[in-house]
Amino acid sequence: MDRALKARLERRFGDRLAGPVRQRHDETEIRIGAGDVPEVLRALHDEPELGFTLLCDLCGVDTGTVMQAVYHLWSETTPDWLRVIADGLPREKPRVPSVTFLWKGAEWLEREAYDMFGIVFEGNRDLRRILMPDDYVGHPLRKDFHLPDDASRSPGGGVRPMESPGRPADAAETTVRRRATAG
Amino acid sequence: MTTPTRPSLDDPNLTIPVDRAGIFEPIPPARTERQQEFYALRDGEMLLNLGPQHPATHGVLRIVLKLNGEQVVDLDPVIGYLHRGVEKLCENADYHQAICYTDPLEYIASLFCEWSPVIAFEKLLDVQVPRRAEYIRVLAGELNRIASHALYIGFFALDLGGITPILWSFLERDEIVEMLTALTGAQLLFNYFRIGGVNGDLNHDFMSRLGDWMSRAGRQVEAGTALLNENEILVRRARGIGILDHETAFRMAVSGPNLRASGVPLDLRRAHPYSVYPELDFDIPTRSEGDCLARYLLRVDEIKQSLRIIDQCLHQMPDGPVMARLPRLVRPRPGRAYAAIEGPRGLYATYAISDGTDQPFRMRIHDPSFVHLQLLGLLMPGNLVADTMAINASLDPVMGGVDR
Repeated sequence: MDRALKARLERRFGDRLAGPVRQRHDETEIRIGAGDVPEVLRALHDEPELGFTLLCDLCGVDTGTVMQAVYHLWSETTPDWLRVIADGLPREKPRVPSVTFLWKGAEWLEREAYDMFGIVFEGNRDLRRILMPDDYVGHPLRKDFHLPDDASRSPGGGVRPMESPGRPADAAETTVRRRATAG
Repeated sequence: MTTPTRPSLDDPNLTIPVDRAGIFEPIPPARTERQQEFYALRDGEMLLNLGPQHPATHGVLRIVLKLNGEQVVDLDPVIGYLHRGVEKLCENADYHQAICYTDPLEYIASLFCEWSPVIAFEKLLDVQVPRRAEYIRVLAGELNRIASHALYIGFFALDLGGITPILWSFLERDEIVEMLTALTGAQLLFNYFRIGGVNGDLNHDFMSRLGDWMSRAGRQVEAGTALLNENEILVRRARGIGILDHETAFRMAVSGPNLRASGVPLDLRRAHPYSVYPELDFDIPTRSEGDCLARYLLRVDEIKQSLRIIDQCLHQMPDGPVMARLPRLVRPRPGRAYAAIEGPRGLYATYAISDGTDQPFRMRIHDPSFVHLQLLGLLMPGNLVADTMAINASLDPVMGGVDR
């Protein structure tokens, strides 16, 4: 845990932070609103005392109540991983600004988050499905997406025991498999 | 009842309808600005489909190349043919089961795919891993790294037209695979790392094979690469092709050997130490050129460093247990953990969220090949079709990891 980093982040971003800076093991975590993503990440990337130049991961998270876009960053100024959570995206229409202006390599990661969660990254020039086929319906990693049986459209289609019935097209209403305490 | 007759090809009036849409047409309408731009052809341009069933695409990768004559103008990689929804499967499995789902991601370096989720789960559970287990992990991991790099060297040469090196690398790899089989009981998908340690201690079979191999590994690497390093065809086809400078590399979120071949000495084993790497002495080789040849030579250097690490592991291996005491069914407290390791291709990472049950609430698996594949669109335009093979091979993507 890097206490100095926590102080730096609190001093720099202050009221932009939605919640306290949390630290555990070698991770530091901040939460921001979706609208603050470009400014905060630009500051983290550009300012020499922060210097988070390496984007380690970008992913979406569905907590069951809200959507999140999660960025993991690395900097040589700190021994910690920095996790930036763009929190509180509405599940119906999650939108968050793209970070492709900082890391062009985030383009596919954002496409994947769009594909899997339906999070729209505004400013990504190529936001279309990447792993699922182009004509696919639904976003598979959302919590209201129940794994359909591979053969569900075949005459003998059934549902395997570990899966609950439901097709991607039915995924409109919010039914979360387990009580969401995480996220 | 008459059966319809097939049209004869000798019929002079026969017109074969040309399906202009075909496989290249984007699913209408074009979904993004970029897609629209790509599929709008100018005069003299044509589309060529490379893959998905092509021996030089390292799995099922399809690249739609936009060509002007022999020159690549633009390209659109199409992936997802191997997508199995591993992240979703992991959400429906308990923590121990999730590890074996991550195994087949990068099937030629599967120990590394296990390593990052294992560390992430250990962080969630606050488990202290015994030192001997950590040393065994490093030992097995570095062996796997050598096996992966050896295969890389072989396939790199194969894609550039050399048949012999692949046979040599498979000899090298086979020996390592046999060692790891003796250690883990499996040939390809080891499933050896467990939460809190490893599955089984070092055994006599493994140690005798390892000792035997270590005595000649260095010479074998020299012999295998001497075949290539001075090979004029290989050098002239790889030097100056696909140059990636370090600023672009950071912008493209590149990691691992591809980043170090662009002159950035960033290796997570030093930059963000995990396991027992701080206790081991090794160098981080870098190259400043950033071209295909540099990426190849860098991996050769990395093999030598891995041999050094293995040697030290054998000398410093402490005694003790190889598993921490843990219940069969683990239920971490609600929380989040991120772990990243340095694999043979770059940064493998896992972001795990626990909600207090025995299954991960969310498990994100980050794979370097996925990110590196974006470099194709950056490095290939301007080169000839034949160079696309060199560039793709030098980046070392494994499609199992890309598609997850």
